[in-house]
Amino acid sequence: MGTDWHPKLGDKFVRRPRAKAHPLRRALGVFGLFSAGYGNVGSSIYYALGLVALIAFGATPVVLLIAGIFFIFTALSYAEGTAMMPEAGGSASFARHGFNDLFASVAGWALAFSYIVTIAISAYTAPAYLGYFWQPLAEPVAGTFVAMGIIFFLMCLNIIGVKESSILNTFFALLDVITQIIIILLAILFIFAPHPEIFSHNVIGNWPSASGLILGIAIATLAYTGVDTISQLSEETRRPTITAPRAMILMIVVVMILFSGISVAAFSTMTPIEMASEWARDPIAGIAQGLSIAIVPEEIAAGLSSNPAGIIVITAFFGGILKLLPILVAVLATTILIIATNAGLMGISRLTFALGRFQLIPLTLSKVHHKFRTPYKPIILFSLVATLLLIPGFFAPNTFVILGGLYVFGCLFSFSMAHASILRLRIKHPELPRPFKIRGNIKIRGYDLPLTAILGVAFTSAVWLAVVITQPYARWVGFGWMAFGLIVYFAFRYRKRLPLIHSAQEVKLPVD
Amino acid sequence: MMMEIKNILVPTNGGGADEEVIELACSLARKSKAKVYAVYIIEVERSLSLDTQVDSETEKAEKILTHAEDAAVDADYEIETDLLQARDAGPAIVNEAVERKIDLIIMATTYKKAPGIPELGKAVYYVLKEAPCRVLLYRDSIS
Repeated sequence: MGTDWHPKLGDKFVRRPRAKAHPLRRALGVFGLFSAGYGNVGSSIYYALGLVALIAFGATPVVLLIAGIFFIFTALSYAEGTAMMPEAGGSASFARHGFNDLFASVAGWALAFSYIVTIAISAYTAPAYLGYFWQPLAEPVAGTFVAMGIIFFLMCLNIIGVKESSILNTFFALLDVITQIIIILLAILFIFAPHPEIFSHNVIGNWPSASGLILGIAIATLAYTGVDTISQLSEETRRPTITAPRAMILMIVVVMILFSGISVAAFSTMTPIEMASEWARDPIAGIAQGLSIAIVPEEIAAGLSSNPAGIIVITAFFGGILKLLPILVAVLATTILIIATNAGLMGISRLTFALGRFQLIPLTLSKVHHKFRTPYKPIILFSLVATLLLIPGFFAPNTFVILGGLYVFGCLFSFSMAHASILRLRIKHPELPRPFKIRGNIKIRGYDLPLTAILGVAFTSAVWLAVVITQPYARWVGFGWMAFGLIVYFAFRYRKRLPLIHSAQEVKLPVD
Repeated sequence: MMMEIKNILVPTNGGGADEEVIELACSLARKSKAKVYAVYIIEVERSLSLDTQVDSETEKAEKILTHAEDAAVDADYEIETDLLQARDAGPAIVNEAVERKIDLIIMATTYKKAPGIPELGKAVYYVLKEAPCRVLLYRDSIS
């Protein structure tokens, strides 16, 4: 294009950098968002099942079901909040709009804590699955070393900056769903259906005490780790007001079906005692192993066909699946747990981005690195805390329960804040558009309040209280963390002469 | 002979037609895998220094450009966005077209009902008169 045009003397132009120098690209659709959410929630079954069995024994399927019902309530509250306020920050963002910055800060630090424990617990259980290939990795001391190595490696990767691949997330989510469906079908068709008494004996014969049941319900919420992932990703979602609730509902349906099926498969193939003692850290590997022992391909073949050629083909088919299953579970579980560890680190990045923008944490913490363009300070700080949480792994045999208690402390606090904020927003701003509005409302003093959020806040607060009372490690570490968060918040707000309770202005994040 | 398009510039103004213009630009660009640039120009009063950041204007510009990015995502095409400050939008658009070697400018305009000929705005007239490349004018529906 030839041109003679030149700006005149007075024609001057200034190019301004966009406020979001690296805007979060809106690229995720319903399935991409579901995969990211499922990757986080679905991964938790690889460790939660064993941990719940350690406490709830035979009642594991029941407590998972009860926690699952409240998971639906929580997911519904997140769906309404995310469709209303499609921004990163999850419960901290809801609390900021529903209450004020002080509540948002408390919710934000609680959420950050649950992310840190997700990092620790996912990294801690990944080596246990690798133990299939090399037994020493399943030992607690070696496993703890490897877990720390995984966190360090992912920390470096996240500082340099990795691109989260939606295609990779979708691939692993799909592979995981298929593997779990195979496990469930094999267990139901060939063990549960012909011998339902094994399952009922394992459940009824190993019923826990009342306190075990209550604590089991609390710990079972761990199975639904990462329900807020979809909410955190809403700024990267196409048409988030429609996409986020749809992805959330899809996730609820898939997770509930798979978790119920896996519970049945678990106690059809092994006793709760076996799971709690031998397979606590890698329960799905235990199920795969149990299936390989309990199912005899020749018997299935003889039942399905009388033709000798048919018997050979069917025997080879089922024999192949049963041989492949433990290897597939070991590789898949390790990969998914490492992805979940990474998702925790990425969640921290997104959360600090949101908290920094709302001036809930010092801006210096949210600064992005001038070269790598990543929030390196929170990544290092939170990875370090996650590594410290793993130290008991070297000498405490119940590290797994300790980590579970810590996770429940952070996540249930954050969930109750989410429910409370949704209720408060219905009272404070009933006029605001709600692209997704929870049904089943009751009228209290003229306000339409969702019953699921009321039950959700009551349940999550009660279970959180039960954990605080019964788990001293979770109590002191959890409260210590929250106190640290509040000191940082008040010191920062006081120094910056910002309101201590009310909302401050949203700011642009600086580059280091 | 079909014209070859490698670079398209879409000056946005926050009007109702922005989304349609971005969609149009994306569909035109798709065939030749052309680049689409959306730009918003903040016109700074002469009483202020040109690099003064007026927060309310910047916030408005950010929203408009984010909306343009969203429209491009919906059209399944990637675009680049830019925020400029100038005394007048017209010269800034033409300068951007020259700097980026733009082949086509697609501009949205709103028909303002006024006695006499339609009022298109100063920037549109300037671009039509001075832009060295092709200019496509897109008028939003009157309703």
